[in-house]
Parts: sequence; structure tokens; C-alpha cells
Amino acid sequence: MIKKIWLSVLNALIIVGILTFVVLYSYFDHEKDYRNQVVRFEDMTVAMEHVTENYLQGEQSICDVWANYIVGRNMTLSDATEFIRASHVLQNTSAHLIYTDTLRGLSTRSNIINTDNYEVSYNQVDIFGNMEWIADIGEDINMSRAYTNPMNGEQSLAFINKITVYDDTLDETRNALLLRIIPISDLKEKWAFPQSEFENAELSVINSDGDYIIKGNSFKNNNFYEFYKSYNTIGGAALQELKDNVISATASFTMNDSKGQPCLIAYTPIKVANGWAMLNYIPVSALSSKTENWILIGVITVGLLVLLAVNTIYMRLINKRLQQMAKEAESANRAKTDFLSTMSHDIRTPMNAIIGLTTIAEQKIEDRKSLSDSLRKISLASSHLLTLINDILDISKVESGKLSLNPITFSIVDSIENLVNISQPMIKEKTIDFNIRINHIEQEYLFADQMRLNQIYINILSNAIKYTQAGGTIGVDLKEEKSEKAGYVRLTFTVADNGMGMSPEFMEIMYQPFSRQTDSRVNSIQGTGLGLAITKKMVDLMEGTIDCQSKVGVGTTFTITLDLRVADRQPEKMRLDPIDILIADDDDVLLETVAETLESLGGRPEKAHSGQEAIDLIGNRQATGKNFDVIILDWKMKGLDGVETAKKIRGEFGATIPIIMTSAYDLSDIETAAKDAGVNGFMGKPLFPSTLFTAINELRGVEAKAIEPEDDYSDIAGLNILIAEDNEINWEIIHALLEMFGITSERAVNGKVCVERLSNAKDDEFDLIFMDIQMPEMNGLDATRTIRKFENAKKANLPIIAMTADAFSENVAECLKAGMNGHVAKPIDIKFVIKEIRKIKENKQ
Amino acid sequence: MKKFLCLILAVLIVFPFAACKFTTGETDVEFKPTLDTTTSCEINVIGDYGNFEALEAEFDRFNKFYPNVRLSYAKTDNYQKTLRTVLEGNDKPNIFFSYTWMIGNPDYNQVLTHMEDLSDPALKLDLDCIRPSLVNHDAEGRVLMVPVFSRTYGMLVNENLFKKEGLSVPKTLTELMSVCEAFRNKGYSSPMMGYSRTSSSCFMYTVAYPLFLSALAENPDALALANDLDSEAGEYMRPALNAVKQLIDNDCVDLEECANIGNNYDGVILRFFEGDVPMMICAGDTVSGTKKRESQSEAFTKAPFDYTFAPIPMTEDGGYFIDSPSIEFSVNKDCDNLDMTNEFMRFLISKKELNKIASVKRLVTPTTDMPFDSVYAPFGRIPSERTISPEVLGIKDKLTVQIRIASYKVGKGEITIDGAIGKYGQFSE
Repeated sequence: MIKKIWLSVLNALIIVGILTFVVLYSYFDHEKDYRNQVVRFEDMTVAMEHVTENYLQGEQSICDVWANYIVGRNMTLSDATEFIRASHVLQNTSAHLIYTDTLRGLSTRSNIINTDNYEVSYNQVDIFGNMEWIADIGEDINMSRAYTNPMNGEQSLAFINKITVYDDTLDETRNALLLRIIPISDLKEKWAFPQSEFENAELSVINSDGDYIIKGNSFKNNNFYEFYKSYNTIGGAALQELKDNVISATASFTMNDSKGQPCLIAYTPIKVANGWAMLNYIPVSALSSKTENWILIGVITVGLLVLLAVNTIYMRLINKRLQQMAKEAESANRAKTDFLSTMSHDIRTPMNAIIGLTTIAEQKIEDRKSLSDSLRKISLASSHLLTLINDILDISKVESGKLSLNPITFSIVDSIENLVNISQPMIKEKTIDFNIRINHIEQEYLFADQMRLNQIYINILSNAIKYTQAGGTIGVDLKEEKSEKAGYVRLTFTVADNGMGMSPEFMEIMYQPFSRQTDSRVNSIQGTGLGLAITKKMVDLMEGTIDCQSKVGVGTTFTITLDLRVADRQPEKMRLDPIDILIADDDDVLLETVAETLESLGGRPEKAHSGQEAIDLIGNRQATGKNFDVIILDWKMKGLDGVETAKKIRGEFGATIPIIMTSAYDLSDIETAAKDAGVNGFMGKPLFPSTLFTAINELRGVEAKAIEPEDDYSDIAGLNILIAEDNEINWEIIHALLEMFGITSERAVNGKVCVERLSNAKDDEFDLIFMDIQMPEMNGLDATRTIRKFENAKKANLPIIAMTADAFSENVAECLKAGMNGHVAKPIDIKFVIKEIRKIKENKQ
Repeated sequence: MKKFLCLILAVLIVFPFAACKFTTGETDVEFKPTLDTTTSCEINVIGDYGNFEALEAEFDRFNKFYPNVRLSYAKTDNYQKTLRTVLEGNDKPNIFFSYTWMIGNPDYNQVLTHMEDLSDPALKLDLDCIRPSLVNHDAEGRVLMVPVFSRTYGMLVNENLFKKEGLSVPKTLTELMSVCEAFRNKGYSSPMMGYSRTSSSCFMYTVAYPLFLSALAENPDALALANDLDSEAGEYMRPALNAVKQLIDNDCVDLEECANIGNNYDGVILRFFEGDVPMMICAGDTVSGTKKRESQSEAFTKAPFDYTFAPIPMTEDGGYFIDSPSIEFSVNKDCDNLDMTNEFMRFLISKKELNKIASVKRLVTPTTDMPFDSVYAPFGRIPSERTISPEVLGIKDKLTVQIRIASYKVGKGEITIDGAIGKYGQFSE
């Protein structure tokens, strides 16, 4: 709050400071401009005075010429009047000649009322009470004040000369005055202040007493000093000083005019007329032309206020956003803290199990059963810990935007089989009713990031398994459709469960990292809250869609749709002999899709919806003397299951017809019973065309080929593997694990040693190389590249499998690019390692 | 920040309202222009005032409505003699001063022909705002002139001197005599003063005129005789002339002191401002010059004092308020821009403007409101029965000449009261 107040005060001070500067600058600029204007106005006044002087001198000289002429010829008043009348060129001017003693005389123009009367009298005109001011001819300008012409009533001025005239009645020369009279209205026109220079300027001429000779409209009273006193305060001494200045100097002063407005009076003495002065008036406002400065100040003021307002609003918005961001960051922090707390808990839990069980195992090392149980549990805990760490690494990559795709050619069949294989232990554990259906999968090989695709499918399916109660149902559907993109197929992967479902509120945030549904039922389920976030990011990265329909207590259905590129390589065209195949499954949809698949392979399928129907169909066929060439039985059928059905078939119809048992479950549990019942082969779901093709052909051609038992590793026993590993413990672990499967191994402490060892080895000395990546002297990638360049083709083509903690897909891609044949991530899963070894071996064969 | 913004907004909101209020107060909302306010023309007023600042202030106010109309006032030399020439010349005024004595005076018959009938309803002049006793209708019922000021007669009273000497301003003749004696005893050689060099505006006339009118008002037959300058009317001057003589004989007025007053305007005012004259007899026209001359008087500037203009209590019932027009305005019906001239007259002839111009000029307003200037406060207390309107009474100008000269001569001792009475009708300028 105090900060806000200080900020407001600071803003206000800045605004006030700027405005003060602008006002002061404007004020001084205005003052300067005003002074210049005043000087210019004074100069104009002087110029006007020169014009006035010339005019007065001109008018007076005319009067002088007349006077000289009259005096020189000793004219009578009448003759002089006649002479002047004859000399008149201006219509409005006139002349009066009057005796100085009587102030009576003649006018050149008649009285306006009595047009025959030329006599004029100045007795009632207070001009000639004192005539001392009238100079002799040619010596000065003698001009009267403005007065009323007694002959025509016009306000006029008179240029005057003293003359002498001859009075023939008295026979003597008398003193007289010659008045050349000019109407004020004429003078006003000539003495108008040029408005082009200064608008509203007015001109006045005053005599030494301040009486107006010429009076501008804004000059009030009949006397300038009276006018001044009427609207301004001035003492006697100051007034006298003003009077002295006006008739002796050129300058200006300000005063209030009759409207109370300040005006400037510029004055200058009229040199040719003793005591006269020219006064020019102009309102001060007319000289203050810099009104734009006030506009500037106004604009700046408004601008600053607007800026302030905008800044305030903007700052508030920023603050609001920052607050929101802070809240979000706090929320994210809290989420991360919660996550770390959860992680801590989740990591500590399996770690606790591992450490605790290891201690128990050490204590009970002699108790084989207990030891085995402990090791099994340690293995489970380790596996969970690995998943947890992988998820954390993935989400960190997702959040940093470094998640990228590394497409390879892969078999969707393998991926789905892998998915089923991985899921089966959990499905089995929770006794979930699991179904997987394949629909129109025609393109087996696709070009995509298999690892990420697997991850998507596994995440979704494992979620379904996790959140479905024991005994629940999960159905997986994989459908291939035509894609809008050329060279692509659209795979729709649907996982539907009847699990606990999700609330709408959670569904809004379920793709956000670290989010887990707040539900007492969920709390007991292990999870990182990252799976869906990772899945969504990966689907987005693959330009696919993920849709979810869920209802609490009813279940959840996730649908993932991806357009995947079809690989160039496809399996050869599979074609079965035209054999009769009986398929028995209580899943109508699956029954239908398998029948279609078999038909597409060239077989003649017949469908049985139960074990009993299958038996009946076989009986019916045998009654016609025919037989089925192959029988495919689902294991978990209602009524008679697969094993019982097989037993009856063998009992009723003998052992001639090959029987294949299929299931989405792990068949190893019933393998012995099935074999005893007469089953010849096993086929895990989903039933891809290649799965069916291979299984049927193998059964028919090579007799029944038993599934290799899980603990039979004779096929890989005796292999010799070169392992490049710099870490002693890792070496010991892998060496010991391989030894368990009858595989021998030899260590190379880095890439360089590995290259040298292989170089010096016999051609068939090693079947495979496990290559660590990060090693001293020479890393795994460089070592592989070097090996691939060996001249010895056998050595150069020796399979190399990366065995590294660099587990991201780009690491995998990098390994493959360097020439490796596979990738095993640390910590190693020995089952996966064995699978890789087998794959290599099969390829070698 | 909020407060700062609120303050600025408040200023922005309040300021225009404040400005509106200020503007409303300045503008005369009663007057509404009827002509194009952009009209550009000139209006000239002529008269015998040396200057007329109060009228020039009216010009400025009128310019608020018609900014392009240039109005000016000019003094005409030898006004009364020149007026006709001016009216018939090339420089025709729009408005000119006029006086009631012009009506019926053959010398001004031609002048009257130039006057517009201001009672013409088309002009929409608010003549009702003027006291009816001041509005003069001619034989045809026309109103050729409208009063701008009212004139009365009385005395300037130095209130400070009365306070200083512990005296009260007199309200009856007895009190006046008593106060004069008291002042005299306190060293004031002339408790009352006035202009006395010529009969024009002399104090004797100022004292006598109200009393003479009062006498004539009580006797209509005598009024007729007086207007006809019948010598029999002279007797009605006796109370007035007695009063003049009484003031002089009782040393209320020192004639020698009065003779030092050079003129009946500046001289009277500046003498009064010397501060040692308790009562200065003069007409209201003189009072109009007091305000302006306060600053011109060094004595008054140094030692200013309060003063009022009061009726001269020349009877035991007090004084009189002679309510007569001072100057009047007539419109030259032959002038240029007659419409705008009438518009100006419509503007001027209103209570508001007439009161203003009278206040500035320090004369009595002719309006029915009679909002006297504080200087005129004593006249505001005069009962209506002691108000005399010469125009209502029917006083003719030649009658006033008789009482003016008679009182002047009696006051100066040039003639006896009886002699003056006997010469009634024979006095001339």
C-alpha cells in the first residue's frame, strides 16, 4: 500500500514537473514573443507618426501658402475668402477667415441651414480663448482640437495661420485667423491603423492636455488622461510623469481599457506639432498570439493523464496477469511439491521394499522359499521404480519440448502382441475379463515411432487395468481404416472398461501433468499422474486425436485415432490352402472378424458360438463324410471351455483334426491341461492374419509345434557374447544374468578395447555384442561405426545391441543409425534381453 | 492515484459549471437581440457633456450583443446653438441630448422635427420602467425624448465634520439655523457654501427653486400666472427669496468665501473636498462629478471623508425632492442605421441599464425603482408628498429663469426681495 502511494506521488510529481517545465517554457517563450510584438507595435507607432507628420506638414503648408498669398496681397476678408474658395480642390474641406478680435468672419462654404449665409462666428467655440499657441506662418503646425464646425455641425479639425487682412470699411489692416478645416470623418479614414499589421489596433492623437485630436473608438472620455484615470488607479505624480513621457519619448505602457481588459498603449510625440503625441491602442490579448502553447500544454496535460491512465490500467492488467501467473506458478509449484512428495513416497515405497526385502533375503538366505519370495517381490518393486523413473524422464522431455519422433519400420502385430504380453500379468492378477479384437488389419508393417506408439497403447491399457476392479471387463479394439492422407492408414485404438470412471471436473484437467483424480478409491492405486499427460502429448505429436468418454461408476472409453504411414516393406502375400476351418468363440464380434480374416487368406471358415456347437458341427460334417482341416477353439467360452471342448472332440472324433487353442490370456497356465486334452497348438490373441496364417500352416506342415516353454533356454545356451561395459557392477550383473541362461560373455572395458578384441577374435568367436554407449577412450557409437567398417564381413556384420542408460527414442535412433541392431535400456530387464537375443538369433538363422 | 485522478476529474467536471455560472451572471439575460448580431455599423451620440464615461460603459455592454457595432460619444461645441446645424448637416448623429425646455420653444421647433416618436409600439421601448412624472408627452401624445437621469437640488453634507463636531445633519429649518450657528461658533466661517459667481447653477437658485415650486404647487392659478411671466406671480417667490436672504443674513453662507469658487462644477466639488465645508449647496448634476474627483483632490486623498447629498431643510417640514429630468435622449429619425439605433435605445431604456448608467454617473435614476446611490440616501427618506415634479406641475423654462435671476440678485444683495418680486417677468439672461 505504501509503495503504491509512493508510486502515485512519484507519478504525480513527474506530471507536475513536466507540466511546470512546459508552462514555464511556454510562459517565457510567450513573454519573449510578447516583447517582440510590443517592440514591433512601437515601431509601427513611430512609422505612423512619420506618416502623420508628413500629412500634417502637407496640410499646414497648404494653409501657409494661402496665408502668405493673402497677407502678401493685403486682401480683404471677402477677397481672401473668394481666393480660397477658388483654390479649393477637396470637396469636404472648407476655410474660415475670422477677425481675431471679434472671432467673426467669413466661410468659404455657406451655412448648411441658411445657404445664403457665409458669415461664421467662433464666439461659442472654446478654441481661441488663448491664441498664443498659434505660431507665425511657416514656423509650426497649428492645428486645433476636434470641434464642431459652426457652419455645418461636422466634427472637424482646423489648420490655422495668423494673417492680416485689409478692412475696407475701417480702412485698416486687422489681425485675422485663417482656418483650413478638415472633417474628422475624412481624417479617420486617412489615419486608420493598418489592420493587416495589428488587428484591433486603434489610433489616437492627443494634444499636450491630453484632449483627443483624433480619437479611436476604444479611447474613452474626451481626454486621454481622464480616460486613464477612469479605469486605472494613478497618483498625481505618476500621472504627471506619464504626461511628460507621452510628449517626449517613444515607448509603451499597459493599462485597463473601458472593459477592464488590459491593453497596450504605444506612444510617440508628433515632432512637428508641439506637445502632441500619437497613442496607439491594442488589446494585450491581440499581442498574445501564442495561444497554441496553451493548446500544447492542454494536449500534454491530457496526454500525460491519458498515459497515466493507460499505464495504470496496463500495470493493473500486468499485475493481474502476474498475480494470475504467480497463482499458477504457486499452483504448479504446489503440484510439483505434491508430485515430489508423491514421488518421494512412490520412490521410497519400492525402495523400502527393495532394501527391506534385500535385508530379509540376506537374513534368510538359507530358506529358499522365503528367498525366492523376497527376490520376486524385489523384482516387482524394481520394475515399478523403473516405470516411475521413465515417466518422470518422459514428462520432463515433454515439458521442455524436446520430445521428438523417430520413425522406424515396425510390425503392428508385434506391437499389439507386446501390448498383450505386457498387460497379461496384471489382467491375470485381477482376473479381468479381457477381450481384444482386430478388425481389418491389412497393413502389418508401418513406418512410425514404434516406441511412442507402444507407449501410448500401453499407457491407455494399463490405466484401464489399474482403474478397473478385479473381475471387471476390458475390451480392446484395433481397427484399420482408410486414411485421408495418401500412403497412410488410420488406426483406431479403443480401450473400454467398466472401471471406476472419472468425474467431469477431473476430465477437464486429466491431461495436465501431475494430475490425479481425488478419490479414495484412486489413492490406493499406484500412479504418477503423468501417464495421460505424456500420452496426450505424444498423440498430439503424431497429429492424432485422443477422445475420452467416462462416467463415474460406469466406466471409461478411450479412443485414439492415428494416421500412420504404411511401410514400404510388407510380408509376402499370405495364402492358405482352401481348407475347412472351424472357429469356436463365444465373442460374436471376434468370431466374425476371424472368419473374415480366414476367408481373406483363402480358408473356408465355419463359426461356432460355443464349444458344444463346435462339437455338433464336427459331428454333422463327419456325418457327410467330410472333416475340418483345422479347428480353432477359444479357451474361455461360456459353457464348455476350450479345454473341455478339445477333450470331447478327441473323445468323439479322434486325434486327426489339428486343434489350435487361442486366448487373450496367458496360455502357459493351461498348456499342460490343453495338451493333455488333445490341443495341438496355441495362438495368442489378437488374431492377425499373419498369426492365423503362420499358426495354421505350421500346424498342418510340421505337425503340432508346441509353444516353447518359458523356462526353456536351450536355444540360446552356448552363445558367446562380447560385452563392452566400463562399469564393473553392470558388467557383473549382465555377466551373471547371461550365465543363468547358459550364455558366456567376455568384457571389454571400453569401445576401443572392444574393437581391438573383435579385431583379434576368430570369425565365429562371438555371436553378439552388447555395447554400452558412454564409455571412456571410445564410446559405443564410435566403436560400432568402426566395427561396421571391418574388412572381415563376418565381424563387420556381427549383431550389436546397445545396452545403455540412454533410454530415449532419439538415443535408440542414434544407436540404430550408428549400425546397431537393437537397444536394451538400463536397468536391464533380463526377459527383454533374452527376447532380443532370440530375435537376433532367429534373424541370423 | 485514485484520488489524484478523482481530483482532476472533479476539476474538469466542476470547472465548466463554474464557468457557466459566471457567464450567466455577466450577461443581461433580459435583453434579447432582435437584429442580426453580426451587423457592422456606427452609432454616434452627441451631447454637451465634456465626456460621458457612463454611456461609454453602456456601449461596451451593448457590444456584448452586437460586437461589430461601433458606438461613440462626442461633445458638440455650443450645443444648444449648434444642435440644429448638426442634425441637418452631413455628420448626422444617431442619438442626441435633448431637454424638456426644448418643447414649446420656437428656437427648437426644427430640432423637434428630427426626433423620433419613442412611444411608437413598434420600437418596443420599455417606457414604463421610467417614473411617469419624468416622461414628457407632447401635445400629440408623442414621446420625443426619454430621460436618462433625474436631477434634484440639495446640499453635499460632510458627515465626518458633523460627527467630529457632535452635530446632527439638520432636517428642519430651525435645526439648520442651529447647526449653522454651532459650526460658526466652532470656527467655520461659512457652514454652508455654494457657487455664486453667475446665476447659472448658483446656490441661491438651488435654495429658492424648490420653495418657489412648492408655493406654485399649492396654488395652480399662481402657476399659470408664473408661467405667463405675470408680475402678479412674483409674490409667490417671497418665501423662496426670504430663505436665501435668511441663510446669508444668519451667516450660514459667507458670500466672500463662495465667491472664491471658480465654477459651478469642478470648483464646487474640489472646494467641498477640501474637507472644511460642512454643507455645500449644489444640484445633482454636480454630485455626479464627485466620485471621479475624489482622486483628483489631494486634500480628499489625504483625508477622505464620508459625504451624502441631502435636501436643504428650508421649511420646518424639511426639504423637497425636485424630481425633474436631467438629460434626455432623442433619436434622430433621419440618421443612418436607425434600426440599430432603436435597438440600442431598447437596450438602454430598461431598469437594469438606466440604474447602471445612473450609478456610474452618480445621478438619480429615472426608473420606478429609484435605487439611489448611497450618496443620495437622504433623498430616499423624503415622503412622497414632498416630491415635486416640475414636468407634472407644468413648469416652463422661462419661469425658472425668473426665480434663478431673482434669487441670485437677492442673494448678492443687488436687489431687495420686494424689488425682485416686483420685477417678476422682467428678468432675463
